[in-house]
Order: sequence, then C-alpha cells, then structure tokens
Amino acid sequence: MFIEQIELVDFRNYERASFSLTAETTAIVGRNGQGKTNVAEAMAFLATLDSFRQVPVAALVRDGAESAFVRATVKHDDGRELLVEVEIPRQGRVNVLVNKQRLARTRDLVGVLRVTVFSPDDLDLVKGAPSERRRFADDALVSVAAKNDALRLELDRVIRQRNTLLRQCAGRLTEEVGFSLDVWDERLAAVGDEIGQARATLLAQLQPMVEEAYQQVAGARVAVALGYEPDWRRTGLAAALTASRRDDVRRGVSTVGPHRDDIELFLGSMPARTHASQGEMRSLALSLRLAVHRLVARTTDMTPLLVLDDVLSELDPGRCEALLAHLPPGQVVITTASPLPVAARPDRVITIEAGQVKT
Amino acid sequence: MASTYTLPVQNLIDHLGRLPGIGPRSAQRIAFHLLKLPAEDVQRLTQAITDAKERVRFCSQCFNFAEDDLCPICADPRRDSSVICVVEESRDIIPLERTGEFKGRYHVLLGVMNPIEGIGPDQLKMRELVMRIGSEDVREVIVCTNPNTEGEVTAQYIGRLLKPFDITVTRPASGLPVGGDLEYADELTLGRAISGRRRLDD
Ligand SMILES: [Zn+2]
Repeated sequence: MFIEQIELVDFRNYERASFSLTAETTAIVGRNGQGKTNVAEAMAFLATLDSFRQVPVAALVRDGAESAFVRATVKHDDGRELLVEVEIPRQGRVNVLVNKQRLARTRDLVGVLRVTVFSPDDLDLVKGAPSERRRFADDALVSVAAKNDALRLELDRVIRQRNTLLRQCAGRLTEEVGFSLDVWDERLAAVGDEIGQARATLLAQLQPMVEEAYQQVAGARVAVALGYEPDWRRTGLAAALTASRRDDVRRGVSTVGPHRDDIELFLGSMPARTHASQGEMRSLALSLRLAVHRLVARTTDMTPLLVLDDVLSELDPGRCEALLAHLPPGQVVITTASPLPVAARPDRVITIEAGQVKT
Repeated sequence: MASTYTLPVQNLIDHLGRLPGIGPRSAQRIAFHLLKLPAEDVQRLTQAITDAKERVRFCSQCFNFAEDDLCPICADPRRDSSVICVVEESRDIIPLERTGEFKGRYHVLLGVMNPIEGIGPDQLKMRELVMRIGSEDVREVIVCTNPNTEGEVTAQYIGRLLKPFDITVTRPASGLPVGGDLEYADELTLGRAISGRRRLDD
C-alpha cells in the first residue's frame, strides 16, 4: 500500500499544495517551520483521523479558513486504487469520503490506509507517563484489528460513566449506589478483561520483534522486555473492583483497571525509563514503532507507510545508518531539516519553503 | 463569538440549537428557512406543536405517548398482558410493532442509566415497572434497551431488580448491530432478535 499523491488545502500553513510520492523512498526537505511535519501529520491524519501531535482537530485548519481538506490517492498491493478525502471543519465532525462514498464509521478507514509515524516526541514512549505506553499499545491493537477500536471506546465510556457515578455519590456507599455500581462494574469487568487479554497477547507478540529491531538500530545484543503485569489481572477485574469499591467511593474515582495500567520497558534487566541513556531511549522508542509496523504488515497483508518525521538528525550517525540499512519494505517518507545522510538514497527529493513546494 | 443577528433571530437559533440532533449550523439553516416561510405556514407549525403538547401525555400504565389515560396498546384487550417489553423511549415501540412478532404490552423507561446526564434508576420508570410486575399477571419481561453501553447496563440492572419475582427476564438475541440503535434496525433483524431472546439471569 502506498500514497501516490497527496493534496493539502487550507491545512496548517498550506493554502494549497500537492505532493507526488514514489512507492519507495521520498524525502521532504526544508528549513524548520516551513511545513515538513505538517505533511507527515496530514498523511497520518488520513489513517487515524487524529493528529499524532495530540492537538485539537481545529488546530489543523489554516488561519482564516473554515475547513481544511486532505485528499490522497492510495494504491493497494492488489492494484486497487482508492481516493481518500477528508474535510476537517473548524467546528463539528470530520467528513470522510472513500471513492466519493461517505464512510459510516471512522474505523472503516483502518482497512484503507495504514501509517506508522516516528517523530522526536516518541521519546515519551519510554520517558513519559504510563498513558503514553497505553496509547501505544491500544493504537497498535486498532491497527492490527479495527474491531479493537470499539473495545477501546467502550472502556472509555464505561470508565467515564462509573467515575461520574462515584463523584455523584459524594463518598457515601448507600445501598442504591451499590446496586448501580454492581451493573457498571459487571460491564467494566467484561470490557476490561478483554482489553487486558488483548494487550497481553499483543505485547507477547511484539517482544521478540522489538528486541530484533533494537539490535538492528542500536547494534547491540541486549534483551528487551515489555512488562505488562497489572495486579488486577491476577484475580480478574471483577474481583479487583469489588476489593477496591470502598476506596473508589471514598476517592470518587475508579482506582483499578486497564485505564491505569503501565507497560514497563526493560533493557537488559534495568527499567529503561530510569536507567537508559538518551540514545538508548531513542533506539528503544524507534524499535517499538518498527515492531508494530512489521506486526501490522504481517497480520494484515498490508504494508503500511512509514513516516520518519525529523528523526534522522536526532540519531547519532551510527544508529542513523543502521536504521536506514534495516528499513522495512514498503513506502517510506523522510522529512528532515538537515542534509540527508548518504544512506537514505531517496528516489525523489521534495523541497518546501513557507508552505510551497519548490521542486 | 459575537452575535451578528438581531435578538429575535439569535433567540430562535438558540432555541432550535437546543433540540436533539441539531447542531449550530442546522439551527441557523432551519431558522432562516422559517423566516422565509409565509406567515400561515409558520402559524400551522406553531399550532401543531401547541396541539401536540396539549393533547399528548404519557400513558398511566406504560408511559408511551397517549391521548387518553391509556395508550392504544394498553387499551387494546387483545394484547397479551403476560409479556412486557421494556424499551427506552416511545419511538422504540414503532419498529417493534412493525416486526409483527410481539403481541404483548410495553413499558417505556423514558431513558437509560447515564450518570453523565444525571440519570440513575430513580429518574427512570423502574419503580413503576416493579409495581406492574406485582399487580399485573406478568410471566415474562423482555428488556429491549439498545445494545450500547448504557442500554446493556440498564438491562443488567433490570435483570437484577426483577430477580425476586417468579418471572422470566429475557434480552433479545444478538444480531442487532452492536452500538446501534433499535430505531435504525430493520424489521427482519429485529424480529429475529425478539424471537431468539435469551434469559438475562444465567
Ligand atoms: Zn400504555
């Protein structure tokens, strides 16, 4: 699968710009602040309808415009050609059309276009809060199977409802509150156990792939472990919720469940978050992304597009060369402000300046 | 954003915008449409709203819309009073009636459990449902809330609430689109779901 052509209208700093990409490697170069990352963001937005920079959708609309548009021609390995169009209004719902047909559910988009982005912010996968790693795992679950999106939405919804109920009861566990909690807990336990199982299975699958990618990028033979052992998984969520009920009511929030999980990353026997160097963290974050990229390619028969957004300059020359030597097959888009390393060997170089394509 | 319309226009837009399913853009479009209509058309619309509001109330037994004390279904002696189908809103009765599979009576909860919207069991017609089980000769309750988060939780709640009674509590078989609404299910799917219902207490 690859993006052959992508057009941005009133998207970020682009009034109108069109990019023709090759099926292999395209480099987008330009000084900082000219709009390189915005192109990467537009590509990823088509796949997830979300910004990987974690900003509100309205931030994507160019100043003075009402809506942004992104339009792309996507070619699948089986020869199928799809026209994907999204309209991003400043307010209201994003509209998605595939071959001019309106998409009923956004998760239907997962089978159309898959994009893996690696950006400098990915250091947070290792360094950041547990929520960063949960999002990583859950995003991966959705790219592997679109139905997981429903599971994730359901968990968010039940947790929000349960937390509201806990706040409303103002610390008092009356019989009525208990009766209502029983049914919300039953639902939460069902969804939570399923998500816990899905995460555990995913991480077990990813572990050897992350380790392999780490060895390729860092050039070091180090054991990599993804530790996912939340306490509630030992008893099952239903029992854990019963045990924490008094505490939950007193604090007015759901203290136990998959929404509080962490995934611990180990290099050798040491937790990476506290013991790894900056370079090791970068290699590990990149390995996590590459592993998901390969897993998606393997489980879905669809080679995703890999976007390396501004990351080559962040890696030391050795790691950078190792990464470029081990790029997975498929389309790659590299954006960079610094000169391209020789090993990048792009088929096409696009230069941009102030939201305009120069070459 | 500063209001750019005269007060009566802005007022109309604001009121329309509070209706379910109508966003700011639609509210504006409807308001402009109304203002372009001939005066008698607007009069007919306001009359229809006033009439409906004056003449329609809730059935004293099942809380469906009714013009009299009882709705047409509760007043119909041919309906099987031993089976009650619990639905969220009156609008859910229409697709169920169209299936032709169901000959019993209804009970409208007037919502589902939804803490975010401030709705718990006390805000719904739960107590009235329990009263009906006690006073009517009911053998089975079919809980036909929507197959989404709140609908499932409400169904489980009803299952537990009715446990002390010597009746069967069932839930329509799956086959309804998950996360979908009864309102949009086709008759065939809904009919099959009703005839293949499962017990809630197992
Ligand atoms: Zn009635």
